[in-house]
Amino acid sequence: MMLEITDLKVSYGAIQALRGIDLTLNEGEIVALIGGNGAGKSTTLQTISGLLKPVSGSIRFLGDEIIGVAPQEIVARGIIHVPEGRRIFSSLTVEENLEMGAYLQRDKIAKQRTLEEAYVRFPRLKERRKQAGGTLSGGEQQMLAIARAIMAQPKLLLLDEPSMGLSPVLVEQIFDIIESINDQGTSILLVEQNAQMALSIANRGYVLETGGIVLSGEAESLLHDPMVIEAYLGG
Amino acid sequence: MKLQESSFRSGLRSGTTLALILMFLVLIGFNASGAALLARLFGQTTLSGQLPPAIFGIVFIALLAVGQGISSALASRRRNAARPWVSSFAAAGLAGLALAVFILVMGSLYQNGADFRKTLYALSPAYIKFLTVDQMPIVGAAISLAVMLLAGGLAGLAAIYLPFGTYWQRVKTMFVRFWNLDGSRSLRANRYFKFGLYAVLVLMCFFVPRVWGSYWNYVFGLVGIYVLLGLGLNIIVGLSGQLVLGYVAFFAIGAYSVALLNAPIPHNLMWGFWAAVVIGILLAALSGFLIGLPLMRLRGDYLAIVTMGFGEIIRVLLKSDLLTSFTGGPRGVQDIRGPSLFGQSFSSDIDFMYLIILAVALALFIASRLQNSRVGRSWIAIREDETVAQASGVNTTRYKLLALALGAAFAGLGGVLFAARNQFTGPEDHVLMVSINVLSLVIVGGMGSVPGVVLGAFALKGLPEILRELANYRLLAFGALLVIMMIARPQGLWPVGRPSLQRKEAPDSPTENDKPNQEAPNG
Ligand SMILES: Nc1ncnc2c1ncn2[C@@H]1O[C@H](COP(=O)(O)OP(=O)(O)O)[C@@H](O)[C@H]1O
Ligand SMILES: [Mg+2]
Repeated sequence: MMLEITDLKVSYGAIQALRGIDLTLNEGEIVALIGGNGAGKSTTLQTISGLLKPVSGSIRFLGDEIIGVAPQEIVARGIIHVPEGRRIFSSLTVEENLEMGAYLQRDKIAKQRTLEEAYVRFPRLKERRKQAGGTLSGGEQQMLAIARAIMAQPKLLLLDEPSMGLSPVLVEQIFDIIESINDQGTSILLVEQNAQMALSIANRGYVLETGGIVLSGEAESLLHDPMVIEAYLGG
Repeated sequence: MKLQESSFRSGLRSGTTLALILMFLVLIGFNASGAALLARLFGQTTLSGQLPPAIFGIVFIALLAVGQGISSALASRRRNAARPWVSSFAAAGLAGLALAVFILVMGSLYQNGADFRKTLYALSPAYIKFLTVDQMPIVGAAISLAVMLLAGGLAGLAAIYLPFGTYWQRVKTMFVRFWNLDGSRSLRANRYFKFGLYAVLVLMCFFVPRVWGSYWNYVFGLVGIYVLLGLGLNIIVGLSGQLVLGYVAFFAIGAYSVALLNAPIPHNLMWGFWAAVVIGILLAALSGFLIGLPLMRLRGDYLAIVTMGFGEIIRVLLKSDLLTSFTGGPRGVQDIRGPSLFGQSFSSDIDFMYLIILAVALALFIASRLQNSRVGRSWIAIREDETVAQASGVNTTRYKLLALALGAAFAGLGGVLFAARNQFTGPEDHVLMVSINVLSLVIVGGMGSVPGVVLGAFALKGLPEILRELANYRLLAFGALLVIMMIARPQGLWPVGRPSLQRKEAPDSPTENDKPNQEAPNG
């Protein structure tokens, strides 16, 4: 098992954001974590990537406990987090943004190779390589954020609402890209409010509500679950 | 006569701006200062409290009109308006008219016995005579109007019909090539040119302090020390994005290092200047690191406030009776000894100028090296988005502390030099205003830009000293200049050479072997 979360509790001061969740992810899977605003999805990802310290619980990555490990060390072990809201380094160029993604890769030749690969997957970014990140359109910025994450050649990619605020056409494109990244062997934990899209590319899914997992299972079966249809698919 | 509509109108529009600026300058008496500056160029010194000959005032407004004329003519031409020079005449004429009316009104009122000095100090009788060119108000007004109209209009004509544009373009291309702004092989990269330039610079640095006298050594020494401070704060604020407002604390630590280690009172340790330099730098860096430790979780405003408090605490401590026997208390420390080399005292104003030049050169080297390194890139990433930087693997705590320690070290060196040069330091040298000044010069120069810091230090510490000779209104005029500057160049005097928003490249042009002007990915 690649990622195994057991009884994870996280609080912001007095506010309990995660009330003991369990979640697993197998190598090569796309797992969707869906839920409404404030359910605790981002909190989950931030805790996995070491940006937040949990109150209790365990997160095992490839067998090792990673709670308490510094964020940069978690990056080094192969977990890359793309925070919500298309966060890029806006005054750095597109190419510099990508280079920041491969920050821990000190081998210049290898870095150059990953850069070329990223450009093959994101030709749009190659066109804009010398442009400041902040001047890209919303969709391009989301592409850049994902491409930057790929630059680190992660084993596990944590994506926080990649479709947020994008037009349907762009959402389609982004999900195609996510699938193709997964095809090449990267496991993905995908946080989404767009349950339809997320479940349609995921292997399995979890439904999070007010800090607790209320439902989990095969993505296919979740798509037909009456409660999911009622709450998230506008059913 | 039917004038081309848009040229005329746009001329009037920009003329209004000039008219307003001109009114402001006249009201604070700045045109007299400008005229005095001009007079100095021609070898005529104006004593403070006196006015330069009126002719220089006329030349001064003519120069303003020339600038306005050229810029509005070029602006009209850019918009492809017909007869763009019309806008120069319109702009300069309008501004001239405003000035003329002003002179006429003031002059006539004054002749009828009105006295404005109660409300507007600058408007002394002598100044009004200066404005009216020693003539009747009506004549003075007419002269001003005619001069501005002609100077601005003719300058506009010249700018349009003489091939200045091509010259300017050429100068610009040279500049761009020189600084390698377009990524081409630059003149700067030419080895012989580079050596030549450095040789000239070194020679200048060697000879100039000997010839221009102690006053200018004083002024430019101060500028140099502020360059040091600016470079340090630029690392902290401009690069790593931590808004630190108590920067003066590190300066104070440097200054008191030399004061306590190398003055007869209060401790008479006399360890020598060079030991104080090393200790001052180390102590400042250490305190930057230590103050940083508990602050690592703070961001933005909180960080600013807490560090500001730190700066004030240091000053209050220095002042307190409690520590008087240790720090010299409110009266400070006198008689701080300067450096000596091979048993020779090395503490004249010229020697200090050399020392400061050396320190600045070293600091410039270190700062620009750092900026383009992996360290610099990490700082910029933290500044832009700390969370994402962390999620990319940057050890944000380590780099933020490094920025604080390094920035503080620069301030420590600045403080040692400052105190040793003045042979004195006291609590009043280390007030909040120093922090604010340094922050302003970083902002004015252009956040994160090394050459910007140098320009900013000249503008903020050099310029007021140069203006000091001229007028009572220097600070007001200086403030106005700053405001104008920030409007004209909101990114700072010399912004970082970041990719511009327009520079989109054709999709097919860049290839693997075409990687110009990119900082190396690794440090
Ligand atoms: N920095 C914070 N401080 C305090 N409470 C927070 C903070 N971030 C999130 N929360 C709270 O934690 C809960 C979960 O938030 P979050 O994980 O961002 O939800 P989601 O990503 O599912 O929308 C919410 O109730 C939210 O208000
Ligand atoms: Mg969220």
